[in-house]
Amino acid sequence: MKKRKQDAGRTFLPVRAVKSWLDGDVFVKLTPLLWGAGYIRRKQYVKGFLALVFEAVVVLFSITYGCPNIAKLGTLGTVKRATVYNPVTMKNEVNQYDNSFLILLFGLVGLLVIAAALIVLLRIVSEARELQQKSERGEPVNSFRDDVRDLFNQRFHITLLSLPSLGIIVFTIIPLLFMILVAFTNYDQQHMAPTELFTWVGLDNFKRLFTTSLSETFGYSFGKVLGWTLVWAFFATFTCYFGGIALSLLINNKRTRVKKLWRTLFVICIAVPQFVSLLLVRNFFADTGIVNTFCANAGITDFLKSIGLVGQYLDHIPFLTEAKWAKVMIVIINFWIGVPYLMLIATGVLMNIPTEYYESAKIDGANALQTFNRITMPFMLSVTGPYLITSFIANINNFNVIYLLTQDVYFTMDTKLAASNAKDIDLLVTWLYRLTNDSYNYKMASVIGILVFLVCAVFTLLAFNYTFRKGREGRFQ
Amino acid sequence: MKKLAAILMALMLVLSLCACASGTEETAAEEPATEAAAETTETTAEEPAEIPDISLTLWGSELTDFQDTLRVMCDNFIAAYADEANITIEIGAQSESTAKDTILTDISAAADVFYFADDQIGELVNAGALQPVESVDAITEANGGADAGAVQASTVGGTLYAYPAMGGNGYFLYYDTEYVTAEQAGSWAGLLEAANAADKQVTMQLNSGWYLYGFFKGAGFTCSLADDKTTTECDWNTTGGTDVAQAILDITADPGFINLDDAAFVTGVQEGTIIAGVNGSWNAASVQEAWGDNYATAKLPTYTLNGSEVQMGSFDGYKLVGVNAYSENVGWAMRLAEWLTNEENQIALYEGTGGSAVPSNVNAASSESVQANPVVAALAMQSQFASAQSLSVGGNYWTPTETLGNILANGNPDGTDLQQLLDETVAGVTAPVG
Repeated sequence: MKKRKQDAGRTFLPVRAVKSWLDGDVFVKLTPLLWGAGYIRRKQYVKGFLALVFEAVVVLFSITYGCPNIAKLGTLGTVKRATVYNPVTMKNEVNQYDNSFLILLFGLVGLLVIAAALIVLLRIVSEARELQQKSERGEPVNSFRDDVRDLFNQRFHITLLSLPSLGIIVFTIIPLLFMILVAFTNYDQQHMAPTELFTWVGLDNFKRLFTTSLSETFGYSFGKVLGWTLVWAFFATFTCYFGGIALSLLINNKRTRVKKLWRTLFVICIAVPQFVSLLLVRNFFADTGIVNTFCANAGITDFLKSIGLVGQYLDHIPFLTEAKWAKVMIVIINFWIGVPYLMLIATGVLMNIPTEYYESAKIDGANALQTFNRITMPFMLSVTGPYLITSFIANINNFNVIYLLTQDVYFTMDTKLAASNAKDIDLLVTWLYRLTNDSYNYKMASVIGILVFLVCAVFTLLAFNYTFRKGREGRFQ
Repeated sequence: MKKLAAILMALMLVLSLCACASGTEETAAEEPATEAAAETTETTAEEPAEIPDISLTLWGSELTDFQDTLRVMCDNFIAAYADEANITIEIGAQSESTAKDTILTDISAAADVFYFADDQIGELVNAGALQPVESVDAITEANGGADAGAVQASTVGGTLYAYPAMGGNGYFLYYDTEYVTAEQAGSWAGLLEAANAADKQVTMQLNSGWYLYGFFKGAGFTCSLADDKTTTECDWNTTGGTDVAQAILDITADPGFINLDDAAFVTGVQEGTIIAGVNGSWNAASVQEAWGDNYATAKLPTYTLNGSEVQMGSFDGYKLVGVNAYSENVGWAMRLAEWLTNEENQIALYEGTGGSAVPSNVNAASSESVQANPVVAALAMQSQFASAQSLSVGGNYWTPTETLGNILANGNPDGTDLQQLLDETVAGVTAPVG
């Protein structure tokens, strides 16, 4: 029985379904019209009824929302909203207008629903044929109760996973597809639904992202922002990583006293919500903030001025207001915020390195640096390699640190960046946010979103491919 | 069980989609509904027992005084129309300066009536969020005629889109008479002299297109809105533009000058390091509190351009009441907007907020208590040099000019050629929106 099922599973579903329909009896042939027909003929009344209800829902949805919107998908609507105020009723009289946003959304959902319904139908048809064969052979046909019991036994994975899968489809895949589609439209401030229509523009937005001229600076900005994003991700990841290891080595050192106190002190940093610490730090380092007052009084500002690190016009250190300073400060502040996490992880890993390694190294006469290079680091890397990759990716999309530290404080001095709403310290993801939030430029934001995904995907694949190459695991000595 | 759950979920999905979609259906089906409503209103005239239920939402400033006064005004409105409709008004807190962001997120979910600052009118009109004013003549006349700043600020492309509610949202000069004489307050040279003499500083936020505009406007350069109502036309890079930039650089090079944003200006005033500054009326209360009897206001100072003194220009600032074009009770919403901005209620709001909501209505503004307000006096002096934002600048004006201002505030650290700087700024400003 199991064997046969597997065999049936091997043939392609549409082929199997068409074959079943051709070979089947009249009830199987009737099934595409009345989805429950095959089941009801074999006395699976509940299943048949459910299939009919599902069919009704699908047909109803297709007629009311699916098909009308799918039909308009080609143009995303042609009738603009027009209103006339009627003073007698005190209401606006509105025409039958097209809402491009809803057309795109319902068109997409409609296509997905129809595709899903089609797959279900194909399964139903081939199942109806299987039932027919079973009853012809005189085998017992599952009752509804048996089916339900199956769902808790052999097919329990379906019971468990259907809800999460549906959640992913509704809350992740559909919005994702929608946003990808937006990248191919002219949905921006000039074309905001429901008042205005937007439509397909093909690859124009992608071309624009790589164009640079006097009035069009997206290409220039994209290059700059991408460059800084990668530089940032590199420094943010590795400063925290090695800093955390160094810190945990210091704390775990035999000569360090009150280890628990130090560890607790650093963990307290984690207990304070990140955005609170970031906003506080932003105020500390403001042009008129406490650090600047201190530096001015202590003569540090004047000293930096004399060696040329601070502009001659300034009477403060532009910690977060000048590109170079801000970039360095952001990395340092991120280091301060991120190190406790790494310290915890590294402590855990270090405690798990078998002490025999160190003992034999000692007997062999290895010094501290050699033990670190040959034992500690390889072990750390082999265990935390995947973490390193994920944190690199996470830093490419590290919105919090950049945005909270620089919003309302940082003004760019690059006119070309300004013309495309970017700033020197923007990551791709904060630029994307500024585009949607400040200038409603959804189309370009979508394009950037797609490119962020590509960048992340490329780095993940490269890095995982390298770390998990066959035989690399466990090869830390 | 799973099938059941799956089907339930599928049904939920489908139902929720239907629920989402019903929004459009309602608007689409509005036409026949309105006809039906027309009949009912006729009948209600005869049978006052069947008056319609009208519920409205109103968004206004989050300040407690403001909200309390709004409640009183709304209750009066409800009472005044009690025989025509059963009105309920829900008041939400939404700062005027960010109203646009909340409204444009989802226009159909925004309030029926809302207060907003006039710099947002262009984008709100473009998004179709504003219902044009019906009683144009009455509103225009009450606010001083078609050429009055308040009316111009509410007009986009020849159509009146909002009800002027408050004037006095522009910027001018605050100064501390302990250090600065009235004569010194008349020019940047005088202000810087006073600052250096007292070892204090004077300030203005240069990295903001809103303030920076004053220098260029004063020198006769213009920004104007193109016919498409969104693109800005700007001539700052024509002959003489670099002189203005150089004049600003001369000011920022003086140690008596510091570039501070609004919040830092107030802190500086409170700490006593700032003795004069260009800022808006919304900070009047805190500045007055800090300086006490030495508090004084004036029109913007003049600055030295090629050796001669030039008066700075500025943007007018108004706060307006808008009616949501997607409101289901747009007629009642317009009545409420008109009610909130009439003479009587503008005075009520002015008094209720302790003088911060300066009336835009001509009659209300001419009352003695309003005229005695130093902020109103300063803005009145400045108003002849001011222009309406809604007629001058579009969406792409702000970021490039903010950057230009930031470069000038930092003394042009890279030594970029000023003409090139202005060319790039103007290219950004005049680029098509989107």
